[in-house]
Amino acid sequence: MKFSLWQTVVLSAFAISTAVAALIVTAAAVASADTLGLEEEAAFRRAVDRVAPAVVRIEPAGLSEAGIGGAAEAAPATGPSSGLVVDPAGWVVTTAFAVPTDATQAIVMLPDGTRQAARAVGRDLARGLVLLKIELAPGISLPVAETAPRSELAVGQWTLAVGRAWSTTAPSVAIGILSAKNRAWGRAVQTDASVSPANYGGPLVDIEGRVIGILAPLPADTAGMMAGTELYDSGIGFAVPIADISSVLPRLMNGETLRPGILGIGYSSRDPFTAPANIATCRVGSPAAKAGLRPGDTVVTAAGQPVTRIAELRHVLAPRYAGDTVELVVDRPQKAGGSVRVSARATLVAELPPWRRPMLGIVPDRSAGVEKADGKEKSGGVRVQWLWPEGPAARAGVREGDVVESIIEATGNDQPGAAEQAGDPLRVASPAALAGFVGGTEVGQMVRLSIRRGEKILPIEIATAALAADPPPNVPTVAGTARVERLEAPEVAKPPLVVMPAGDARTPLGVLIYFGPPPGTGDKADANAALAEPWLAAAAQHNVAVILPGADDPQRWSRMDIAALARSLESLRTRRPIDPARVAVAGRGAGGAFAWLVADALGPAVRGVALLDSALPRQATIEAAEPGRSRWVLFGQSAAQSLPKLAADRKRLEDNGFPVGILPEMLGETPPAADLCGWVEALGVL
Amino acid sequence: MRFLPLLLSLVITIGVSVDPSPIRAAPGETIAGAARKVVKLYGAGGVRGLEAFQTGILVSADGQIVTVMSTVLDAEEITCVLDDGRRYVATLTGIDPRRELAVLSIKGEDLPAFVLDESEPLPTGSRIFALSNLFGVAVGDERVSAQHGVVAGVIPLEARRGAYEAPYTGDVYILDCTTNNPGSPGGALVDWQGRLVGLLGKELRATASGIWLNYALPVAEVARGYREIIGGTPTAAGDKPATAAFDPAVLGVVLVPDVLDKTPPFVESTRPDSPASRAGLRPDDLLVAINGRAVASRSAVRQALAPLADGDPVRFTVIRGGAIVECDLGPRPPTVRNP
Repeated sequence: MKFSLWQTVVLSAFAISTAVAALIVTAAAVASADTLGLEEEAAFRRAVDRVAPAVVRIEPAGLSEAGIGGAAEAAPATGPSSGLVVDPAGWVVTTAFAVPTDATQAIVMLPDGTRQAARAVGRDLARGLVLLKIELAPGISLPVAETAPRSELAVGQWTLAVGRAWSTTAPSVAIGILSAKNRAWGRAVQTDASVSPANYGGPLVDIEGRVIGILAPLPADTAGMMAGTELYDSGIGFAVPIADISSVLPRLMNGETLRPGILGIGYSSRDPFTAPANIATCRVGSPAAKAGLRPGDTVVTAAGQPVTRIAELRHVLAPRYAGDTVELVVDRPQKAGGSVRVSARATLVAELPPWRRPMLGIVPDRSAGVEKADGKEKSGGVRVQWLWPEGPAARAGVREGDVVESIIEATGNDQPGAAEQAGDPLRVASPAALAGFVGGTEVGQMVRLSIRRGEKILPIEIATAALAADPPPNVPTVAGTARVERLEAPEVAKPPLVVMPAGDARTPLGVLIYFGPPPGTGDKADANAALAEPWLAAAAQHNVAVILPGADDPQRWSRMDIAALARSLESLRTRRPIDPARVAVAGRGAGGAFAWLVADALGPAVRGVALLDSALPRQATIEAAEPGRSRWVLFGQSAAQSLPKLAADRKRLEDNGFPVGILPEMLGETPPAADLCGWVEALGVL
Repeated sequence: MRFLPLLLSLVITIGVSVDPSPIRAAPGETIAGAARKVVKLYGAGGVRGLEAFQTGILVSADGQIVTVMSTVLDAEEITCVLDDGRRYVATLTGIDPRRELAVLSIKGEDLPAFVLDESEPLPTGSRIFALSNLFGVAVGDERVSAQHGVVAGVIPLEARRGAYEAPYTGDVYILDCTTNNPGSPGGALVDWQGRLVGLLGKELRATASGIWLNYALPVAEVARGYREIIGGTPTAAGDKPATAAFDPAVLGVVLVPDVLDKTPPFVESTRPDSPASRAGLRPDDLLVAINGRAVASRSAVRQALAPLADGDPVRFTVIRGGAIVECDLGPRPPTVRNP
């Protein structure tokens, strides 16, 4: 997290404005007793001395190279870190940084310098803590530090972050103040003392040496915007309150793994700080659904705490574990107007069944919803461009050229009141609006479409199906041409080639980023042309811009290339509109594994990943699919290649709710351009 | 994200002048007194990642300056700006490649200067100020920036930046304030009485953990390096032991083959009548430390063995059946070179 030039500019401005404040500080210091600073220094040392006997050094043990990931230059890797004795019988708490989830043992070095083998007995995944046990000789017990009562904590008080990673003999210390008492959604206190891998697992203590909490690389945002370790040296450090640890210590000693509790709702607003906790989606089978919550409900009380905004609900939910029960009160609007207050009791779970992307089997006209030349948005629904062969819509009698005007969930029963609950149908103004609605349903949900065909309006009921795993054969094509360009972008040294379809500049383009074999050192101009040539026809036929990135290091793809690619993609976006539903990354061989990493880096913007002659990269982490975070994955193989990991990868993805398809066997070295571009077109299916 | 601590800590650029005063532990006077002896240096660089500025400290009234050796000094002309805005052209007197120090001189007289006092090192927890040309924000006659913190620890330096490895491996002060930023190298570390206790080091990462280090070279080492440079006898950087030359097999240890980079350093077997078998190493022992240095992975094992010279004692710490066992392998045998 080094500084860039712009930050220097900010600092310059800051330094000037601070000069005045600094003078005041200086004057105050001069006016006070000259010895105060040294007296405080003596108090710091006493505080460290008091807690030091309970602070241990943790050395990782039995790590694999894959676990280390060779990331020492980019991020904190695995070094020694710290731990705190929490029970005299040999129980030590440290963080998952010291003992990653794939490690079951670690070395504890006691203050006297002796090493002990330790077992990881329990884990708190919500807070990233690990409970270790070391076996002690009979009659031996470890010193436990005094704790500071939570009620006495005050923002601004001295705090000391103590660790043992730097030295095997003396503890290390960093000084700061308590910055906040309730951070990381209620899971931590915050300090400005320097917190880093060196003291993760060590205690944050007050000026008396009493333990406030355990220093931990907690992410500031539960959404994982920033991994916790990135915050070192930032002036932001977190400690999990010791009382929270004590309350679950018996469960951890019992060998339990405590997981964050999930309720299973989605909110109708993305802004947690201003919007009320209005429920937009309620996952089928989730604790919320089982408790009787419904889309449209607004949470007004959680665990006795009033809730007016999403953030307040998160504050209540984030500290809770799977298995914990939470009382909720919701306002439920009535068809007749007004609302009723409903109480519910939900037992949180560790994970939800993975979400599967549902589809109607309708591929809409891309230009629908695009502004016309006169500036007015085309209204009156979404035109069906083509239908998924044998898909739900095709079987229900929808035809190409039909216009979907509105959609509503059909309850499938005619009980009194069912219609009232369902509300009004959604007027479909754009493919995105229809996609949002379909994505919010579960596979198998009955929906009622209102379809305009010529002069007639037809109601058609369709049950959604899971997105088919294989792209359909014979995806419709359009006539057109494409040309090869260089996709120049600021700060991109080796701009990628792009195969750009000609045609109406207002039609949103699909995007396929393709990583072939690393370009190698022979950088000839005609080689570039050869690289692009196989894509020309397919790119034009499916209106797909194919980006062929350049590599910073000609021998291999590297993380440098990802940053450059993101800029190139932005540059493309300024030239032509991009269809957000049709952005995919593909790669072959080493480029395939890299494509997966690129997709991870680009986030939910990428809707599909194709790995050709490649398995998932070793370090791939796969989280269960959720609405808005799902990818269509394709594997492709040449005849000569065999991928022993393929079946395992496929199962792993499918278990997490990802559709996984297989491409026809590839012949030769030519990329399967037609298959891939057709697939990008098919990605737009609703 | 490392600018936050700066915002939170006391960053001071004061333009007032304070008379030299008796030593007291008053922060304002301490900083004002010490900052007069710190100079801003401008030289080569200016491209991304290579700043064209750093810091130096005056160590004699006639203009001897100690700073860290860096690309900034690779300039035809090094500009030195004092706290009162006086500008000098500095010439490079010499370098100490092992401690990565450099001595510059300017033609001045009666300049305020630090005493290179080789007193006892500061203990952990001592309050300090770091004074440096941090980010080059102090310009012209502005004093350098001051940060406050404590000595977080005193440890041997094991640091690198990319492929570059720091040649100095003696003790350094680890600081709890963020000094590993452009412009800081060569700055002064002073205690609350204004005494020079160290020289802020380069922007490096800890080898073991990969985190950026905030560190300073203790004044005693600075003084030694300064004397050697002035005396014309700097110690050579020294030849680093070749890292790939030593084959652990000469110890008679065979590790379990590394399948897909997923295998921790478990012992598969030992060769009969080898140091490993004589030391009682057994199959399935998990290697956790070599000569007291933690080795969590196979690469750490290689790194720990690499610097050992012929005849150096070798001691393995292993986990066997959930308990720690120490195995003394005796002196390291010479590596057998393939013909």
